[in-house]
Amino acid sequence: MIEARQLTKVYRVPVKKPGLWASVRSLWDRETRDVHAVDHLDLTIGEGERVGFLGPNGAGKTTTLKMLTGLLHPTSGSCTVAGHTPRDRHPDFLRSVTLVMGQKQQLLWDLPASETFVLNRALFDLDRVAFQRSLDELVELLDLSPFIDQPVRNLSLGQRMRCELAAALLHRPKVLFLDEPTIGLDVQVQAAVRTFVAEYNRRNGATVMLTSHDMKDVASIAERIVLIDGGTIRFDGPLQQFRQRFGGGRRLVVRGVEDLGDLGFTSAEGRASATVEPDQVNGLLQRVLERHPDAEVTVEDPPLEEVLATAFGGKEG
Amino acid sequence: MHLLRALPDIFRVSFAGVVAYRAEMVIWILTSTMPLIMLALWNAVVDEAPLMGFGPTEITRYFAATLLVRQLTSSWLLWELNEEIRTGSLSMKLLRPMHPLWVHAADMLAAMPTRMVVLLPMLLALVAWRPELLALPDAWALAVFLPSVFLAWLLGFLVQAAFACLAFWLEQTQGLFALWFGAWMLLSGYLAPLEMFPEAAQPLLGVLPFRGMLAAPVELLTGRATPQTALVDLGVQLGWTVVGFAVVRALWNRGLARYGAYGA
Repeated sequence: MIEARQLTKVYRVPVKKPGLWASVRSLWDRETRDVHAVDHLDLTIGEGERVGFLGPNGAGKTTTLKMLTGLLHPTSGSCTVAGHTPRDRHPDFLRSVTLVMGQKQQLLWDLPASETFVLNRALFDLDRVAFQRSLDELVELLDLSPFIDQPVRNLSLGQRMRCELAAALLHRPKVLFLDEPTIGLDVQVQAAVRTFVAEYNRRNGATVMLTSHDMKDVASIAERIVLIDGGTIRFDGPLQQFRQRFGGGRRLVVRGVEDLGDLGFTSAEGRASATVEPDQVNGLLQRVLERHPDAEVTVEDPPLEEVLATAFGGKEG
Repeated sequence: MHLLRALPDIFRVSFAGVVAYRAEMVIWILTSTMPLIMLALWNAVVDEAPLMGFGPTEITRYFAATLLVRQLTSSWLLWELNEEIRTGSLSMKLLRPMHPLWVHAADMLAAMPTRMVVLLPMLLALVAWRPELLALPDAWALAVFLPSVFLAWLLGFLVQAAFACLAFWLEQTQGLFALWFGAWMLLSGYLAPLEMFPEAAQPLLGVLPFRGMLAAPVELLTGRATPQTALVDLGVQLGWTVVGFAVVRALWNRGLARYGAYGA
């Protein structure tokens, strides 16, 4: 469904040194440098797969999504999505895909969301019956009916994002590119969006490619992780394998005690936790139980945030 | 075909947008009433003695027609598209299977009825002042006026599209457009009838694109065109429309290829 071969995007960025002379000089001597945002990326994603596309800021995630949706033209290499070359922007291609960007909107600001839906019906040339069926389903799944007829400018961020999702999915795309779809939303709406995306994938067999800084999004939507850094892929495999590879440690959680700082535990909200290598679990467990024989101790996989922090080598995710 | 099927819905939604922005629209329309100011000035000039065949009646008819044609042909694509390219909001429009410029064109046309509603009282006031304005031009001139005014609108739209496309390369394109607009005001008949220009300038004025953007339809409405001049004007308008399409197409395609270095 998605295929990228040696996909590369190089941005030529102007370099300007500070100072008046540098400004004057830049008038005739424009210095630039090349930034390899995406560097010979190979990727194959099958129909119906749900992929978490992760990486630190500036890793090339959004650039890749924009090339796969035809918004950016690759510098070299090639990609096909749903059988089309995205940069050609063939109408059939545009009817097969959607891109939801948490920080960009397509809803008409001063009109109710229902007007954008009508406009999209016209622009996507949707049959009225199919449109109505699609709309009814989205209104129900995303619970839009209380505010669908209010001007978008009067909606809360969460309500707006739900309408954005509906506008992006009215034409029932086969491939969903989601770029930070839950950014800025409250916990409840985040959960609703996650449930919705998973349900859309289940009902329509759609392929989902998701970037997110919120690991709860990734954990609940993605079954496969592609990790990108510096424009190249550093890991590609199932979520479980990702945890094992980068989150090799185990996490000991002790409830109701807080005096374990000397054993390497950190305490918060009435529980202490420490992450250690698997072969150290037994030794540490013994020392905790010597001090608190009745303590409630559990051994868990570390949270995905920690796994990701390890994978990024300390870079901001 | 897809465009034709989509048009009624695009019109309807655009019209809802116009209604939502009605105050802004009225102000916008009122700011393009320069022909009324020019009428007041020229009226004082020709009141004493007619100039190049323009007496008070002719000059009133000329600027009333200019006011009407200006309202029928103005666009605000430059500002909209420029903003979309600069902020990256064009991206969302590029993901829809219809060219964003078609949608913009429909959007501009949908505002036409509202513009006419605002314009009507002004035209009625002019007619009350000079009832002889009601004399309609010949039927052939009225018939040619329709394609002529449409081509004038299309030319203006294409010019703005071309300048807006420069935003793919430049930070600001409005300054460049202001240069063009200055030339347009002078050479399109907006400030003074083109007949007032020297004889030697007429051949050049005839082949430049400006005349076809305003004076050509205005002269049809005011009864100053002959079938022969009307035909030549239509030909020149068509020629520039073809050039305009080619330029916009080239700029658009090249612009998209380099669109969105960052943040698109």
